[in-house]
Amino acid sequence: MKSIERISKIDKQKLSGEHYFESVLEQACICKILSDSDVEKIQLEYLSLLAKQSEKFNNGDSCSIQIEKAQDLLNSIMYTIGLYLKTYENPDDAALALKQNTIDDMFIKGKKIIKRMVTTTKLLHLGIVNHIVNTQNVFYRSTIVDGINGFFKLYYPEFGAHKIHITADYPTYNGVQDLTGIEFIRKYLENIYFENLFCSFFSEDSIHHLLCGFDENYSELIINIYEPVLTSALGCVLVGKDINLELSDSDVSELTRIFENKTKPEIKEILGQALEAVKQKLSFKDSLFKYLSDSLPKIASDVKNAEDTKTINKIFIIPAYPENNTKIEFSYGKKMDNKLYRRIIEKIMQCQETQDKVQIIKENIHSLVDLEDILLDAELSDLEINEVLKILTPVEFTALLKKYPYRNDFEMDGLKESEKQLCSCLNNLLFSLPEKQRMMIEKAVSMSK
Amino acid sequence: MEFKLSLFNNALIQKQAVSEIIKCNDVTSRFGLALTENQAKALVQTRTTALNENGRIEFGSGIINKIIYEFCDSPYISERNYEKTLHELIEIFYYYKNETLDLISDEDLIKYMKKAFDGVCKGSLELLSGRELYNLAHNLRCGYPIDYTDNPNNDDKEDEDEEY
Repeated sequence: MKSIERISKIDKQKLSGEHYFESVLEQACICKILSDSDVEKIQLEYLSLLAKQSEKFNNGDSCSIQIEKAQDLLNSIMYTIGLYLKTYENPDDAALALKQNTIDDMFIKGKKIIKRMVTTTKLLHLGIVNHIVNTQNVFYRSTIVDGINGFFKLYYPEFGAHKIHITADYPTYNGVQDLTGIEFIRKYLENIYFENLFCSFFSEDSIHHLLCGFDENYSELIINIYEPVLTSALGCVLVGKDINLELSDSDVSELTRIFENKTKPEIKEILGQALEAVKQKLSFKDSLFKYLSDSLPKIASDVKNAEDTKTINKIFIIPAYPENNTKIEFSYGKKMDNKLYRRIIEKIMQCQETQDKVQIIKENIHSLVDLEDILLDAELSDLEINEVLKILTPVEFTALLKKYPYRNDFEMDGLKESEKQLCSCLNNLLFSLPEKQRMMIEKAVSMSK
Repeated sequence: MEFKLSLFNNALIQKQAVSEIIKCNDVTSRFGLALTENQAKALVQTRTTALNENGRIEFGSGIINKIIYEFCDSPYISERNYEKTLHELIEIFYYYKNETLDLISDEDLIKYMKKAFDGVCKGSLELLSGRELYNLAHNLRCGYPIDYTDNPNNDDKEDEDEEY
């Protein structure tokens, strides 16, 4: 039997988590819980508190303060009082508390709540850091360890209780919305805690290979690690495999068949049943199950979209093993004697005809490293560089392309003029090749060290 | 529900400020200086405009009284230029509160202004604002001592001024 809930005049849905104090005050006025004189009293009280806080902020040295700073102090005061008001389960009670208590009292109580929250959040953070997922993704560690440490260093609830200070680059799958200040950080860390807890059921290697299947360069991408792990685990259950995150092409085909022509609620239902099975097999706590269940609507949407576009393989990822890929290593050879090199450069520069220049290079240059130097030093025109590149074998062309890959204007900024010229000639020639040949060369470049 | 700081500019606060300025006449009358109620109102209006123009907000009685008490014994202020000088000093004060990045307290800034006004500026508000306070703000922003100058010839500043 459900517990009986008190009817509240204020609709909870209309309250803002981020600006709780303001929204309670506004709704209390609309619902006539607070009269105009009550609101006037509250406004005068919080303005006098603002005056006190601004004096404290200035160390009593200054009567005036910049408007931006004053607004910041006011936001901090309202956030702190809002936290106190959130301790009342029924918003009507929170509105009455505004009437019965002074703003100063509520501010002091709010500060105590923040102090307690900071302590508990620090403990939660410590626990997370001690059991962090060992992944190569740079944003994961830099946000969860360094970023959060930075937050605790900068967080000063007296004058900036509502501030977050950091950008929290690493995204949690279940987003943190309508919260700010220490509440945001606590919720963010709680999400990270549950995501880490779920990932801890799988080995670091399985997670690494799964993420490699998503993108070999996942270490430099801002991606959520838990999402592919959860979808893969659900996929394994749906195709009747052990939950080892090792889906194959045939498993993905099977999953495509399972989700074919299904509506979003049907997909959610299928995923819900799979999650129950995951829970039974891995036997985890209800709190983690609740977090995983909260992720299902988003996964169901993604699966539905993928089903519509026939890209289920982008949701249920097949692991990749880049360490097993063949690697091509080029030897650029040895540099020739400096005197000889200078003589060749002079000879090339004295030549008028392109064909003569190409002939000299053909006869005298026998290593890739010398060829690269000549292309950079001999002040050749684009046309002449193209003529030289045309006589190269595909392997030599690939080796040069590996050193001078396609770069956008921004990336070109750091290069010398001659390097920019060679880079653009190489890439122009690559794009002028027939598609099949171009793709082969691009593949060889990606396989080379 | 509005939570903007414009709520502060209410009539009650302005009235209180005017009466506090009038009270200063008890002290300044010894130096032959006094302000009428209309003049006090005009000073409060100047303060409000200066605060708005410089993006600042003020709590409490403000700095007009402090400026009046500090400057009332200046040899360069007489009844003839008293009100006009106060208007300009108020504007200069708030401008340089921002320019000094709030690194100097109200009291210290007013004292520095008085010393410079009576000293090297010899009553010139242009020199006070354009040279002395400009240098002060520059020194504070750059972390130099308050009296630092990168022009060694500035030591003879007083002599140069006399030439004009």
